[in-house]
Amino acid sequence: MRQIALYGKGGIGKSTTSANLSAAFSKKGLDVMQIGCDPKHDSTRMLMHGRWIPTVLDQMYERLEIIDTDIIFKGFGNVRCVEAGGPEPGIGCAGRGIIATFQLLEKMNALYGDVVIYDVLGDVVCGGFAMPMRDGYAQEIYLVTSGELMSLYAANNICKAIARLGERSTSKCRLGGVICNSKNMDNEAELVNEFATRIGSKMVSFIPRSKTVREAEVNQMTVIEHAPESEQAKVYEKCAETILGNSNLIIPTPLKLEELENLARKYL
Amino acid sequence: MAGCTLTGALSVSSFIKNAVTVIHAPFGCAHQVFSMLHAMINDSELTLAPQIIVSNLSDRDVIFGGEECLAKALDKAALKNPDLIILVTSCVPETIGDDCQAVVNEHPARQKIIYIPTSGFLGGCAKDGENACLIGLAKLAPHALPAEKTVALVGEKNLETEVEENYAEVKRLLDRLGVTVTTRFCRNSSVDDLKKISSVSCFILRDERCAAAGKFLSEKFDRPVVSEFPRGLAGCIDFLKSVGSACGISQNLIDEAVFDEEKYQALALAKFEKLRDKKIYLGAEPFDGTFEIAREAIKKLGMEESMDGAEIKLPFYLPVGVSGTVKMLNLWKRAIVYG
Repeated sequence: MRQIALYGKGGIGKSTTSANLSAAFSKKGLDVMQIGCDPKHDSTRMLMHGRWIPTVLDQMYERLEIIDTDIIFKGFGNVRCVEAGGPEPGIGCAGRGIIATFQLLEKMNALYGDVVIYDVLGDVVCGGFAMPMRDGYAQEIYLVTSGELMSLYAANNICKAIARLGERSTSKCRLGGVICNSKNMDNEAELVNEFATRIGSKMVSFIPRSKTVREAEVNQMTVIEHAPESEQAKVYEKCAETILGNSNLIIPTPLKLEELENLARKYL
Repeated sequence: MAGCTLTGALSVSSFIKNAVTVIHAPFGCAHQVFSMLHAMINDSELTLAPQIIVSNLSDRDVIFGGEECLAKALDKAALKNPDLIILVTSCVPETIGDDCQAVVNEHPARQKIIYIPTSGFLGGCAKDGENACLIGLAKLAPHALPAEKTVALVGEKNLETEVEENYAEVKRLLDRLGVTVTTRFCRNSSVDDLKKISSVSCFILRDERCAAAGKFLSEKFDRPVVSEFPRGLAGCIDFLKSVGSACGISQNLIDEAVFDEEKYQALALAKFEKLRDKKIYLGAEPFDGTFEIAREAIKKLGMEESMDGAEIKLPFYLPVGVSGTVKMLNLWKRAIVYG
C-alpha cells in the first residue's frame, strides 16, 4: 500500500491536486482512498460530485457505534472518500481532531487499498497536523507549491517537519518530491525545480494553470472526470504515473530563510 | 501545601460560604486536584461542604471547543443561586484556547462570576493558584475608607493546620494594641465578608506565600501590609511594632504592649525551667525558619545544642507566636524530661 500525503500553503491547490491524483490512480485500476485532513472538509467534494460528506469527527461523537459506511463514501472511480472534519474556525483544537480521526480509522482497520492519499491542511501548524507523517501513515510526502515566495516558504517549513520526524529511528516518513502548481509566474518551473534540487529532492510535476480546472470545479467534478481528454487531465495522469514510479524518497535539507529569499530573487 | 495552580486556587475558592466553584476541566483533572483537599477535609473539623461543579471537558470538547460545555456548567452553578461563582481552569481549556472570559461575559449570571485562569502548564504552582484566587476575590471589594484600628488577615486557609490556634495567638497580640480583626480573607468568610476587606487599616499576611496578593491589596487600596504572622518569641515583639506602626497606634501604646508581651513571654518560659542546661539535638529542619525559632528558645532557656544531645522532633509547621513556641517546648519537655 502506498501512503501519500500532500502538504503545502493554504489555497495552493492541494485538494484539487489530491482529488485529480486519486481519480487518475483509480483510472489505472487501483484501489484508492482519499482522506481530507482539514476542518474545512472540502478535500473530496469534487470526487463526490459536490456532496459534502459527513465528517469522521461529527459521526464519531453523534453515534454510539460507528461503522465504515458512516464515514467512508465512494466517489468517482470508486475512490473511498473520508473527511476528518474539525471545529469551526477560531475554536477548539483541529490538530487533536486529526489525531482522533487517525485513531478511529486505525481502530476500524479502514486504512487499506493500493493508494491512500492524505490531503493535509496548509502547513504543519502543530503536532496534530504532523500526525499523517507520524506512526507510519504517510510514507511519501509531496510538497505542493507555486513559485511565490510565501508558498515556497511554507514548503520549506514542511521540509523542516519532515527532517525532524525523519530523524526518529521509527520514522518512515520521507519526501517524495515537489509538485509545482503554477500561478503563471515568469521562470516558475525553473525556480521550483531549483528549490526542489536544493532541498535534495526533485520536481515531480509541473501543473500549468488551466481554465479546465475551474470548469471542472464549477461542474463539481475532477478534471479527470470532466475533461478526460484534456491536456490538463494528461498532466494529472502523468503526475500520478511519476509518483507511482517514484522510489527516490529522501529526508530533505531545508533552506535557510536567506537562501530561500536569494533563490526567489534569482528568478525574478 | 504544594501542587498544581488549580489545587491552590481550589484551596481558597472551595470554602467561601454560599459560593460555587466551577472547574472547567475533564473530570479526571478535577478529581485529581480535589482529592488532596478531600483528604485534608477528612482530617479537619470542617463542616462546610465545598460546592464544586466540573464542566467535564471531553475529547469532543477539546476538538470542537469547550465553551458550550463551560456555559452549561455555569448554568448549573447559577441554578444553585449562589452569591458568587468562581470559575477556575485546568490546562486543557487554556491549551485549546477556550475564551472563558467571553463565555462569562455572555452568561446571564455574569455579575456574580469571577474567572481565575489557573492552568498548571503555564508554570505556576499551588501558591500561584492561591494568590490568583485571593486577587480575584479582592477585586470584588469596592473602595472604602479605612476604619481605625482594624485589620484583615490575608491567606489563612480553611484546611491549614492549627489555623484557629494561630488565629487566637494573633488576636491575643492585636488585643494588646486595641486592634480588631474585621476580615479573615478567606477563612470561613462569606462573599459579603470578603467585600469588607477594603475597609481595614492594614493587611496582615499569613506568610510569604501570599505576598503577591498582599502586593495587589496594598496597591489597590493604598494600605500598609504586614508580611507574616509572628514567628516565635522575638517575632511577637516585631509583630506588635509593625502592626502598631501600620495602624497608626501611638508609640506609648506600642511600648506598653511590648512591655506587657515581654512579661508574658517570661512567664510562659518559666514553665520550662526543667529544660535549663539540657543538651538538645535538632536534627533536620522540617520547615524553613524553624531552626531560628528553636534556637531562640534554646538560648532563652539556657539549653545547649549539641550532637550528643537528646534528639527531639521539631514541629512540621512554623510555630506562630508564643503559643507555637510553647507547644514546641511541651514536646521537648515530654521527650527530654519525661523520656
